[in-house]
Amino acid sequence: MSDEMPDFSNVKSGSSSTATKIYEVVAGDSLSKIAKREYGNANEWKRIFEANRDLLKDPDKIYPGQKLKIPPK
Amino acid sequence: MIRKSLYAALIAAAVALAACGKKEEPPKPAAAPAPPPLQAPVAAPAGVTVSTISLGKAIGADKKVSATTDAFGKSDTFYASIDTTGAGTATLKSKWTYHKDGKVALVKEDTQTIAPTGPATSEFHLSKPDGWPVGDYQVEVFVGEKSAGVKKFSVK
Repeated sequence: MSDEMPDFSNVKSGSSSTATKIYEVVAGDSLSKIAKREYGNANEWKRIFEANRDLLKDPDKIYPGQKLKIPPK
Repeated sequence: MIRKSLYAALIAAAVALAACGKKEEPPKPAAAPAPPPLQAPVAAPAGVTVSTISLGKAIGADKKVSATTDAFGKSDTFYASIDTTGAGTATLKSKWTYHKDGKVALVKEDTQTIAPTGPATSEFHLSKPDGWPVGDYQVEVFVGEKSAGVKKFSVK
């Protein structure tokens, strides 16, 4: 009885902004992973690190729940 | 004698009760902790409002759609470009739905939290590797939990 409504489970989505975005770190994240997702390039992790120097001392240490500023692309 | 002391006890009790009712009278040093200030909004709309929602098949570096449309092809990517004004932190949400014969299916929901310092443009986009079903769709944009507008479109 699923009344032939289409399956949308494989829909891919994305978002971006000209404004700084706020991203909440989840388990398994790294700055390069976030950079890859946000900018399409893992090597841009330094931009995120620089924008969050007030919060991050070591680019290899980010924690779930931290809210990072993601500068616009 | 007993009656006299009973009266005395009653009067004492009455005085004590009256004193209780005047708690605000004696000025006290403000030792009690101040009530907490209004909670700072975490991801709530703090002065950020949506001015325009546009749909298109492509966007530029400014996140605006190159050409607005409400008719898409099966292999197109849907872009919703959202202009906002104001500054603060706000969570934008896009809720994409498919409509057929009075029934509604959720296509996708997506959010992004932005911290603009002035006018900004944000976008959400969707694609479907095996192509979009033909029919009617809509996207509703929210700022926080509040709807900021709806755009209807179709796939032909």
